[in-house]
Amino acid sequence: MEGRNGMNTTNSGLLHPSIEKVVVMEGTHAASYAVKLARVQVIAAYPITPQTSVVEKLSEIVSDGELDAKFIKVESEHSAMACCIGSSISGARAFTATSSQGLALMHELLHWAAGSRLPIVMVNVNRAMAPPWSIYVDHNDSLSQRDTGWLQFYAESNQEVTDTVLQAYKIAETVSLPVMINLDAFVLSHTSEPVAIPKQELVDEFLPARKASFKVDTSDPRAFGALIGPEAYMEMRYKLYQAMEDARSVIREVDRDFANMFGRSYGGLVEEYMAEDAETVLITSATAVSTARIAVDELRSMGFPVGLMKIRTFRPFPVDEIRALAKHVRKIGVMDRNVSFGATGIIYQETKAVLYNAPDRPAVFGFIAGLGGRDITPETINEIFSYLMNHEEPVSEAVWVGLKTAGADRPEPPFPENSAAMKRSDGV
Amino acid sequence: MTKYNFSTVEEMPPLAFSLESTRMIPTGSWRHVRPVYRDKNSPCHITCPAGEKIPAYFELVRQKKYAEAWYKILEDNPLPGVTGRVCYHPCEAQCNRAGYDGAVAIHNIERYVADKNLQNKKLPAAVESPKSEKVAVIGSGPAGLSCAYQLSRMGYRAIIYESDHEPGGMLRYGIPDYRLPKKILDKEIKDIETLGVEIRTDSRIGGNVAWNELERYDAVFVAVGAGHSREMETPGEDLKGVYSGIHFLRELNAGNVPKVGRNVLVVGGGNTAIDAARSALRLGKRVTVLYRRTRADMPAVPGEIEEAEKEGVHFEFLVAPVGLSGDKGKVSEIELVKMKLGDPDESGRKRPVPVKGSNFSLKADTIISAVGEEPDLSFLPYSFLKKGIRLLVDDDYTTGVPGIFAGGDAATNPNGTVVNAIRAGKEAAISIHEFLGWRSRSNGASHNAVTPEEVNTFYFPHGNRVKVPTQTIQKSKSAFSEVNRTLTEEQALTEAERCFTCGTCLHCDVCMTFCPDVAISKDESGEYVIDYDHCKGCGICVEECPRGAMELIPEGAREPAEEVD
Repeated sequence: MEGRNGMNTTNSGLLHPSIEKVVVMEGTHAASYAVKLARVQVIAAYPITPQTSVVEKLSEIVSDGELDAKFIKVESEHSAMACCIGSSISGARAFTATSSQGLALMHELLHWAAGSRLPIVMVNVNRAMAPPWSIYVDHNDSLSQRDTGWLQFYAESNQEVTDTVLQAYKIAETVSLPVMINLDAFVLSHTSEPVAIPKQELVDEFLPARKASFKVDTSDPRAFGALIGPEAYMEMRYKLYQAMEDARSVIREVDRDFANMFGRSYGGLVEEYMAEDAETVLITSATAVSTARIAVDELRSMGFPVGLMKIRTFRPFPVDEIRALAKHVRKIGVMDRNVSFGATGIIYQETKAVLYNAPDRPAVFGFIAGLGGRDITPETINEIFSYLMNHEEPVSEAVWVGLKTAGADRPEPPFPENSAAMKRSDGV
Repeated sequence: MTKYNFSTVEEMPPLAFSLESTRMIPTGSWRHVRPVYRDKNSPCHITCPAGEKIPAYFELVRQKKYAEAWYKILEDNPLPGVTGRVCYHPCEAQCNRAGYDGAVAIHNIERYVADKNLQNKKLPAAVESPKSEKVAVIGSGPAGLSCAYQLSRMGYRAIIYESDHEPGGMLRYGIPDYRLPKKILDKEIKDIETLGVEIRTDSRIGGNVAWNELERYDAVFVAVGAGHSREMETPGEDLKGVYSGIHFLRELNAGNVPKVGRNVLVVGGGNTAIDAARSALRLGKRVTVLYRRTRADMPAVPGEIEEAEKEGVHFEFLVAPVGLSGDKGKVSEIELVKMKLGDPDESGRKRPVPVKGSNFSLKADTIISAVGEEPDLSFLPYSFLKKGIRLLVDDDYTTGVPGIFAGGDAATNPNGTVVNAIRAGKEAAISIHEFLGWRSRSNGASHNAVTPEEVNTFYFPHGNRVKVPTQTIQKSKSAFSEVNRTLTEEQALTEAERCFTCGTCLHCDVCMTFCPDVAISKDESGEYVIDYDHCKGCGICVEECPRGAMELIPEGAREPAEEVD
């Protein structure tokens, strides 16, 4: 049986045989313990709220001798990533963690890591960008790094954080690209949940020591990252593009392998919930998915054909999965915890883009919610479903949900006043 | 180099990196300055009058090689147990750590090493082959012992003539037990004898040994010290109950406790005055030191003054004796005059001038006069050049009489300290060696020391200077047992760890680790080798070196000679 946060138990209530123990811990520590299980060799990080406890715990783990790794204290996130690049190019398994402004400071080196094809794994605790200062969740920090060549995962639960870190190294080292795992500030980072810690020997089997296909060797010096003329630069970019394309099948495969060994699966690039026979589906990501599951359960119990698609990887973007969904739904709502100024919500944009050249093109609606840590509650989700039921075609490219205004852009009144409109169109 | 032509994306490597080694590209040609390894002098070594190689023996201490550390000290000083206790350690004043978190307690480590080897019977061998020449040394104080010892290491036969019954000079008869226990001195003198120095005690030149007996020697070193107390030049100095400081200490050290009254006044501000005062205190007396200048002008070691004060010695400054009066031939009162400071004298200190009409008297039953010491040179058979009361010698300790050298407090280049006498003995030995026709190993080493700025303190966490264990004041006041104790091994190792080891490469690998061109490696013997084909002269190694043991020199310049002794 699979619980909401991926916890797996047998029918008799016993734990899955892959589990060493279950520990109640916050999301940041779920990342730290996964790093330990992955036998990371170099950790370099600079503290920033709400990421700090990820590396704080790791520093303890390293100093206690529980993990044989170099823990490098640095003076900035830029240096942290530089250390990861240096160690990764020497063949080591490297890790860092950051958040928000820290991630922004890393930007230049994010390109370096991907361009050098280094399988670095980073945990980014999603925190809204300043100004105005905020320490609370939204996704603009990581989505601003969209085009750097990093894979991006968004986690829904603490268990998923642990499991995704383990999967991430396997994926990264297979396709030679860096991976960023994102978790929502406080909602996940500082909320405690039970996390199943898998047995080390099974992790070792799942994730053997890294074998770098190219690395710095001082006894046989090579130049890395050299100047490339116009005659070959484009081909190098194509290689990176192709690696990201290849990552799609690798992600699905690794998730299947993981499920076989540990009994937990996250569906690969996306996870669908009640979407198979749904007419209206909400696409969203991260912790808001958990909230949406509750809203969908409620609406389903009232007979409304609604469903959910969780975007687990933003890069590579789940093109095939969204096109498949489009085949059997009438309306898609996309709830973005981010905004691209001058455009719309970012996942909304991308969703529309993959459908334009697809044969099936349901109506797609864009919603912006939960910026800077504004709570996304089941009521927020209900409000969005209500809007979807009441509109055949989108009238706005960006409906700001819960916006405090004098009334101009307010979405339709919430459920259940318009419940009649939400019944299945085919009358079933 | 092979030229690669990739025509398709499939043939290309996943990222831009060279497919062949870049070693054939001599990037060293970009360089216009080159790093070199160059050990430099530490300020402590430069400052130590005896020239002890402090960074070198500290490193041996850190490796717990205490015998080797001892041998390293013995190259320059045969009396580390003595100097570890009584030296005024000018090295510490110059320590580069002083401005960081407090100078390293060098003398305590020296003492620790000496004490650790108290039972060590294995002495270092002489460094040079035996020679036929013989050298006579007059006086077995620190200068004489040091000179004879160094000559012996060079292969000479050295014979010391000592007028006293036991060797040591002022070390034995001038320094009280609570500062230097006799067993330490005895042990170190015994070591010097074991090494081949012959000491003839009860042998006074010009007394029971005729001067012309020295004619059979190839050279003579006069190191008779300054064992004669100067007089106060006040009426009544011959009264009973008036002692000279030297006499008082001498009697005490010889085991004949002098008769002193309950109220002891000590006149003078030097080390003898302080030693006498603290000794009298230990006999259970009330002691006051009278000094004609101010406390800051006192020539005694400041630490000793502080300890005296803590133990309860009283001080009166800016007073000078005018006369002593007595009762039935025994002193009972001292008449003093108050002083004020006038214009500076030749010593640079303000000259004390009597204040007219300020005379007053103090009751006293014992007066100890310690206003200075002078050498007794009356044994010399013919006239030597003198300056004031001392033998005039050149920088190389020659007296003007061929073959006769002089040093220590009897000659003109003393500052009256043990360590300066040890230096005089060592340097005179080198002069004698040259006089006897040999070339000395002295290489005119530079006297530039590593500056605090050259130390990369990033590598040295802050840590407090060791607190030297001492016996209680109560105990000190009533006994002649040693006031300061030897460090424990843990304390010694912690303190030795504080040493920056200025200017001496410890093979810490920092240069190698930081070289961005991986142009530094180690050869089979563990020495660093710089690959100048690939060193771009960025200077990071030099900048990063924790202890200033590397240097950047202009490209094309010749490598400088080692600077250290």
